[in-house]
Amino acid sequence: MRNIKILFSVILLGAVFSSCGYNTMVEKQEAVASQWGNVQNAYQRRADLIPNLVATVKGYAEHEQETLTKVTEARAKATQITIDPENLTEENIRKYQEAQAELSEALSRLLLIQENYPELKANQNFLALQDELAGTENRIAVERNRFNQLVKEYNAYIRKFPQIIYAGLFGFKPKAYFQAAEEAQTAIQVQF
Amino acid sequence: MKIFRKIKHRFWLFFLLFGVAATYAQEIPKPMYPPRLVNDFARLFSPEESRALEQKLRAYHDSTSTQIYVVTVSDLGGYAVSDYAFKIGEEWGVGQKGKDNGAVILIKPKVGNSRGQAFIATGYGLEARLNDAYVGRIVRERMIPYFKENDYFGGVNSAVDAIIERLSGEFDADGQQDNGGVPIGLILVSVIVFIIILRLIFGNNRHINNGGSNRGGGRFIFFPPSGGSNRTGGFGGNFGGGGGGRFGGGGAGGSW
Repeated sequence: MRNIKILFSVILLGAVFSSCGYNTMVEKQEAVASQWGNVQNAYQRRADLIPNLVATVKGYAEHEQETLTKVTEARAKATQITIDPENLTEENIRKYQEAQAELSEALSRLLLIQENYPELKANQNFLALQDELAGTENRIAVERNRFNQLVKEYNAYIRKFPQIIYAGLFGFKPKAYFQAAEEAQTAIQVQF
Repeated sequence: MKIFRKIKHRFWLFFLLFGVAATYAQEIPKPMYPPRLVNDFARLFSPEESRALEQKLRAYHDSTSTQIYVVTVSDLGGYAVSDYAFKIGEEWGVGQKGKDNGAVILIKPKVGNSRGQAFIATGYGLEARLNDAYVGRIVRERMIPYFKENDYFGGVNSAVDAIIERLSGEFDADGQQDNGGVPIGLILVSVIVFIIILRLIFGNNRHINNGGSNRGGGRFIFFPPSGGSNRTGGFGGNFGGGGGGRFGGGGAGGSW
């Protein structure tokens, strides 16, 4: 009887102590989730610029239809994929990243054609859009870095003792990182 | 025991003072001392030009709390000009904390065969007014034409005018009081609480060394706020350096 009492109080004590760790896990998870929102916002911002960019280029470069269609298609595909912060698994992030990388590639090809159209190159609207696009790529990089940083903190925390014992129990799973840019995924370089 | 505590205490002070500096010692230059808004590492401006620019930026900072840093470097150390500007903004803490109303005008002059590069990075708080497209236009139309003529002062001066014009009415000076004013009451309370806690912990053995560590604790707590009021102009209107603003990738640049 006495033993059971001791056991019980140990479990109770454990629960009380664990609540500190539990709250921190929740906070860190929330930080990751909200940062994921920022990452998606940055990508969305880029997607929002594209119709305008396509329209501007169209006015000057009619027979680049193929490049323009590719950009529009890649944009449609990329905006379809969104990930709920609950499901930040490696596979989901990889898919997301691939779709966005495809869009980056299509965009960089679109920006290359300006060399053939001096009038387009000098167009104020086009210049402004290029600045916005370059700024958006910068923002994406910043938000992605911050996301990885927060995921790192979260993952490290839930793997530490004693959290590791009960993190899985409460459904705190490790989250995946954004992978560093591969060959095809490097951010487009906008030449000034 | 006493010595140990003393060492620990010193260690923290040491860490506070040098740990921060050490984190960015290698890559980005530290802001010039005494703190100023024109950090002309590449020596592009004459003393008079430097003074005129500093005066203009300082006046704008004093009336609006907005910090516009002008930084010139002769070498970007392998960074993209944009990344370099963001790094300066983040690490120097350009702009006021919470308002994020800082901007960094970074210029890498044309030397020999290397291209000249310029970038204006805008803090979060400035992005709405100074969107990337507008900043890009400032760089293209108000800076680079001067830079091509080797008139660095003219270009920076005209860019600063354009930024100030665009931002007029967006911020007022209260950001500084926010930083310096609020903590004082809070600090008093926390010092009192701290002393009470120390009394509770060390209350049993009333040795002199406890009094010592107690006073040390008080000083330790007092240290950051006095630094804080310096940086917000408590030193008779002197400029105290960056206020902790943040950058999220806004801005635009160009080269010539």
